[in-house]
Amino acid sequence: MMETGNFLVLFLSLCGIGVILSALFRDRKNPLILAWVASLAAIVILAASGKVLLTGRLWQTELWTLPLLGTLVLKMDRLSAFFIFVTGLVFLPVSVFSAGYMPKYLGRYNLRTFSVFYHLLFGSTVLVLASGDILSFLMAWEAMSIFCYLLVNFEHEREETTRSGFLMLAMSEAGTLMAALAFLILAKASGTIDFASLKSASTDLGTMARWWVFLLAFFGFGVKAALVPGNTWLPRAHPVATGNVSALLSGIILNLGIYGIVRVNADLLPVSQIGPGLIVLVVGSVSALVGILYATTENDMKKMLAHSSIENMGIVTAGLGAGFVFMASDHPVLAGIAFIAAFYHLMNHSLYKSLLFLGAGAIDSSVGSRDMDRFGGLIKQMPWTAFFFLAGTLSIAALPPFNGFVSEWLTLQTMLQSAALSSAGIKIVFALCGAGLALTAALAVTCFVKAFSMSFLGMTRSSGARKAKEISRSMLIPMAILAISCLLLGVLPTYIIPVLDQTVSPPAQESVVDELVPSFFTLGKGDAKFGEAFVSEFHDLGAQTGKDFLPGRGLVVLHRGSEKNPVIFAMSSSYSLVMLLLLLGGTFVAVRMLTKERKVTRQPAWDGGVRRLLPEMVYTATAFSNPVRVVFNAIFRPSTVEDTKETVAKHFRTAIKNGRKEVHIVDRTIFHPVVEFMQSTSMFLGKMHSGSVNVYTAYVIVSLIAVLVVQLLF
Amino acid sequence: MERLLHDTVSLNNLSEEIALRWPEQVRVNPDLQNGLCRMECEASVLTEVCSWLFSKMGYSFASLIVEEEPAEFPLRYIFYGDLENGQVHILHRILKTKATVPSISHFVHATDWHEREAEDLFGLVFEDHPRLGDFVLHEEWPEGVNPMRIDFDASKAYVHREVNPYWRPVRIVQAPGAFMMPIGPIYSDFAESAHFLLETVGEDVIRTIPRFFYKYRGVEKIAEGRTIDQVLLLAERFSGTSAFAHSLAFCQAVEEISRVEVPPRAKALRIFLAELERLRHHVASIASICGSTALAVATSQAIILEEELLRLCCALTGHRYLFGLNTPGGVVMDFTNETLRKLVDTAQGLFKKLEELKEMLRFSSSFLDRLEEVGTVSSESAVSYGLVGPVARASGINRDLRRVLPYSGYEKVEFIIPCEQEGDGYARLRILFSEAEQSENIIRQVASSLPSGPILSPPFAVPRGAALGWAEAPKGATFHWVRTAEDGRVVRYRVTPPSFTNWHGFHLAAEDFAFQDFPIIMATFGLSNAESDR
Amino acid sequence: MSKWVLKGLQTGIKTTSYPGREELASGVSPGLPGGKKESGDEALPVISRCPTRALSQAGQQIRVDYRRCIHCFRCLRGVQGAVDWNSGYEWAASMITSDETTPKFGKVFGRSLHILFVDGGACGACLSELEQINKPFYNIHRLGFFITPTPRDSDVLLVAGPVTDHMRLPLQKAFASMPTPKRVLAVGACALSGGIFGPSFASEAGVSKSIPADIGVPGCPPPPLAIIHGLLLAVSRKPSASLTFSGSVDGRKNS
Repeated sequence: MMETGNFLVLFLSLCGIGVILSALFRDRKNPLILAWVASLAAIVILAASGKVLLTGRLWQTELWTLPLLGTLVLKMDRLSAFFIFVTGLVFLPVSVFSAGYMPKYLGRYNLRTFSVFYHLLFGSTVLVLASGDILSFLMAWEAMSIFCYLLVNFEHEREETTRSGFLMLAMSEAGTLMAALAFLILAKASGTIDFASLKSASTDLGTMARWWVFLLAFFGFGVKAALVPGNTWLPRAHPVATGNVSALLSGIILNLGIYGIVRVNADLLPVSQIGPGLIVLVVGSVSALVGILYATTENDMKKMLAHSSIENMGIVTAGLGAGFVFMASDHPVLAGIAFIAAFYHLMNHSLYKSLLFLGAGAIDSSVGSRDMDRFGGLIKQMPWTAFFFLAGTLSIAALPPFNGFVSEWLTLQTMLQSAALSSAGIKIVFALCGAGLALTAALAVTCFVKAFSMSFLGMTRSSGARKAKEISRSMLIPMAILAISCLLLGVLPTYIIPVLDQTVSPPAQESVVDELVPSFFTLGKGDAKFGEAFVSEFHDLGAQTGKDFLPGRGLVVLHRGSEKNPVIFAMSSSYSLVMLLLLLGGTFVAVRMLTKERKVTRQPAWDGGVRRLLPEMVYTATAFSNPVRVVFNAIFRPSTVEDTKETVAKHFRTAIKNGRKEVHIVDRTIFHPVVEFMQSTSMFLGKMHSGSVNVYTAYVIVSLIAVLVVQLLF
Repeated sequence: MERLLHDTVSLNNLSEEIALRWPEQVRVNPDLQNGLCRMECEASVLTEVCSWLFSKMGYSFASLIVEEEPAEFPLRYIFYGDLENGQVHILHRILKTKATVPSISHFVHATDWHEREAEDLFGLVFEDHPRLGDFVLHEEWPEGVNPMRIDFDASKAYVHREVNPYWRPVRIVQAPGAFMMPIGPIYSDFAESAHFLLETVGEDVIRTIPRFFYKYRGVEKIAEGRTIDQVLLLAERFSGTSAFAHSLAFCQAVEEISRVEVPPRAKALRIFLAELERLRHHVASIASICGSTALAVATSQAIILEEELLRLCCALTGHRYLFGLNTPGGVVMDFTNETLRKLVDTAQGLFKKLEELKEMLRFSSSFLDRLEEVGTVSSESAVSYGLVGPVARASGINRDLRRVLPYSGYEKVEFIIPCEQEGDGYARLRILFSEAEQSENIIRQVASSLPSGPILSPPFAVPRGAALGWAEAPKGATFHWVRTAEDGRVVRYRVTPPSFTNWHGFHLAAEDFAFQDFPIIMATFGLSNAESDR
Repeated sequence: MSKWVLKGLQTGIKTTSYPGREELASGVSPGLPGGKKESGDEALPVISRCPTRALSQAGQQIRVDYRRCIHCFRCLRGVQGAVDWNSGYEWAASMITSDETTPKFGKVFGRSLHILFVDGGACGACLSELEQINKPFYNIHRLGFFITPTPRDSDVLLVAGPVTDHMRLPLQKAFASMPTPKRVLAVGACALSGGIFGPSFASEAGVSKSIPADIGVPGCPPPPLAIIHGLLLAVSRKPSASLTFSGSVDGRKNS
């Protein structure tokens, strides 16, 4: 087994080789090159980060020392390793997918540049995660932002693409600026730039500085993580990006924002007051709710998935916020559980969101449209895509035995643990946020039932959908890999949680593995932490069932209460998978046996006896989600664009035209007023530009006098 | 049907007025004896005259009767007003070589469906009518085949038909994501076959587009060439729940042609049986409204009353729906006064229970919530669509044929015509209760003062001729036009049932409503597809 | 709300005891014409009065083809030698003419039957009678019969009306969508022979022209008890009436 450092060098050289080969080879071969080299690089980086995760040996190396600034350091601790591992997990299938997907742009756009930027993005992302000092972090971050922009801007001849890409870049830079300021404040306190010394010096910071660092870092990195109010760019960027880039965007780039938040607020300058924690919690919950509301009523599949990413990042942030609050209230165990929930959700989101985006890309390339109102009935033409997309849908809707269920369960349980806190006000905030998250979960189910059923089930609603064909195997295999990972992560939480626990324990300062996945199930007797009586209660419930032949522990538990009066919440997605398979299999066999002698006929779906069910008579995606739009009208506030009734000869109504326009609530409440204010201020200040040279000379003299006065006085 | 002299004063003025306005184009031929004004009109002023009659003079549109003669199509537009205004029959002839008519549906919107039906069945083109085609005959009938034409063989199925693969339903709502929810033709438990397309964007239904004539049995066509007795059977049975009223209208048309006087006892019995049918029909409608709102106990209460009335009818006349009682010249069965009085007492007892039900419903706020302000039809719409019956009277139109064109001795009976103004579902329910009360009242009056005498006029032969017969059926005004040949066989039979007129206006009530209210709106209209489709 | 409960309790039980006991209340059925022993000359006027040619001469008897009887009472009222009139309501009989045996409904259907109704162009009278079977006086729920609006769940298809041209396809689709075993009940004279409407360009001569009908319930309209008898016959809980539906109904009846 190589050293981590060697792995990293190998990885970076592979990226470099990828760049060179992409530049050399012609467009036709490029996707294949990309697939091979990037996958190899992904495997290498998986090995590197996996090693760190599992063995716990930190890795660090110093690069060059710059005069006046400090030493550039590359470091991989467990936190970085976790994020790098997730990055590798997503890059691998997406790269394989690109081989079959990119050829559709052949001849229209330059595939060489795509591959070059792809490899550069991969490299810079890993460098961001592996950097150990401010300067290398910011440089890698900028590189990552720019390459991300270049990739999103791939179809640069469409006006929509350039505008959305530019918005993305502009907001990203604004966020980076804020984050850089936060780093600078930290650096001022310690005098150096590397993270280790920042961390040790940060304990001396005053309250004011702490608040500034927190706010700047949180909202600055929050833009990258697409949290409210920095989420405007994401729903615009996703529809214009290609399918594989969308998967990267949601699966990896958003995580970097979370990484920044965690790095600053949990590692470099751990949150010590409840205030910041509450802010994080509330922002997360609001993001989640706003994101899912817009996702449910959206018809463009990629925009819908973008809003859903905002929702999921909101859930992760809410988990982090809960963790911060617990940490500040001296409940390290609960904080650890909260962080584990957040990180688990982050990993799950990366997997199922990339799966869904790859599916959306597949449908787009097959049908030629992203509008769900024009899909329908694709399950007959694209059965495998439908199958894997279904796995992604079930995961994101948090249904067992998939991975979404585990992280959603953990997050909601964390919210319930707020009963352990003392202050009533905080408990109320937790209750409201918990309720918001529960509403989010319900809406998510609605949203994805609509997404799956409107796209794949029912009647085909357009000619494009009728002509759709199944995608190639090179595109199906990555989706299969992601779907299987979703299932595995859902069924094996008892193995994942200990790994996450080790990642999380430095910030939480306590290991919580025993809380969640106690070992006494298989041991059969108590130990120091859990008394005999307690353990025997569990065994009475049947916790020992099958301990001889079922591999590993299947239950994830959370318990409160005293020794004598334990309150236990338990969940087992592993066992539920077993039960599901038994019941499904059993039902299948039973039905087969019972209907052996019966005649089976097939008839089209009963339609009330109409001669032919036409596409006009079938539910559309808009109609499916309209009740949500009506119930939450106060948030959506659609404005009527057209409301005409055409009549012929006074009595014959020939047309009723209704058109509506919606502006996103964040745009409506925050951005548009701010932009209008700035515009009006500029207009006002613009009066200074009178055009006359005399006035300008006067300005120069006045400012000169002012400077002299200031210099004399102070 | 005789008229008193003072009724015809306005009719006389009308004739003079018309002669003044359109001296060249309209030839007036008043028949004040019968309260009727016949006129023949040219194409250039047809629209003017009709819209003047309808909008300015307040006449209602009854029917458009299209007939076929060797060289031309005579079209008759029938209007009627209040008691003193009588009827106006406007005749307009089209040459077969030309076969186009100006459409008057822009001004007299009530003619919309009559013109569409004439286009489908006769092949006449109504100029400027924006929506011809695909009305009676659905999309598998080819253009140019018109069943009501003389040369069409009605005895066997027409085989040369192909489904048009490009046929699409008419869409009115244009909004992103709008679609049409299909209902039927086979939908609820015991619903009649009809197809509705509800246009919606997901939450509220914006517009209803109905497709009817799934139950088209071609009654008007198969009547041609049959004897009067056989056509009487058709008249009775094309709508079984209003059998007596339709047979009454038909018999009156034949009696008019034959100039036969119906004996007074027969007239009184006809009133008795017609009101008995009306009472039973309204109880059934009330039960259907309660059923649509799922108020189970009220539904059961009303249905129990309906079954008891049906058993009453069967015990009295031998048939639960009063089939086989009317015949041209009188009625077939006589009843002793004793029998009738006993029936009246039983009916009174049943009616008391109906009153109790009405009181209980009046105070059930959850029931009223579903009816009030649901399915509202405004007065103006009701007038322009020419709605009839309880539906029209709930929207403020106070016309009832028993009052404005009295027949069968109704002018001697005292009763009120209930009228409401709101035009919503609750108003229609109240009208049903009030009319049931009036029917019970009339039954009592007639049974206590039944004249003696024969119940059937002496036998007579039916000569060649044509006449209009009418009756106020439980659902509204119905008009039967009969034309006979020398041998007494029917040459043309035109029925305008009240359901046909009112289904036309159904979409007015079914606009911008929540989907769950659809069965309630249908139940409050209380219409029948069998009657409308014939 | 309690006033409705009290009202319902006050009204008591109105349901008939049929099929346990015969229903003797007056007005439950209009009755059917019976045959009549009559010698040739006196029978002819009566036979010729029938507008649908339901009466025919069979030796010394007047024989009635119940599929065609439309309850016009022409053979009963105001004529010499009127036919006998039978009261009663158990009129349902089998319509299967060939010897092929269709799979019987198992015993389980006898207590749990789901019924679909398709309106093939019926006038309101048959519909009104059919609506009564689900209501307090007759209440088929106590017999284990239920009405369902979808063919996928139904065992028995009730059809009324001559089957108009436009309803032919929906009826066939509904029949095809029903799972086996299934039965078709033709309710009313129109469904059995086209009544006075068919056959014509717009109507068929009954249900059997579109889908195979198993049991027929004659009458115009058949009273609710006759329809219930038909349903009980379908699940073999009651025997068939001794009416026969022999011969074909083709040929234009109304001249």
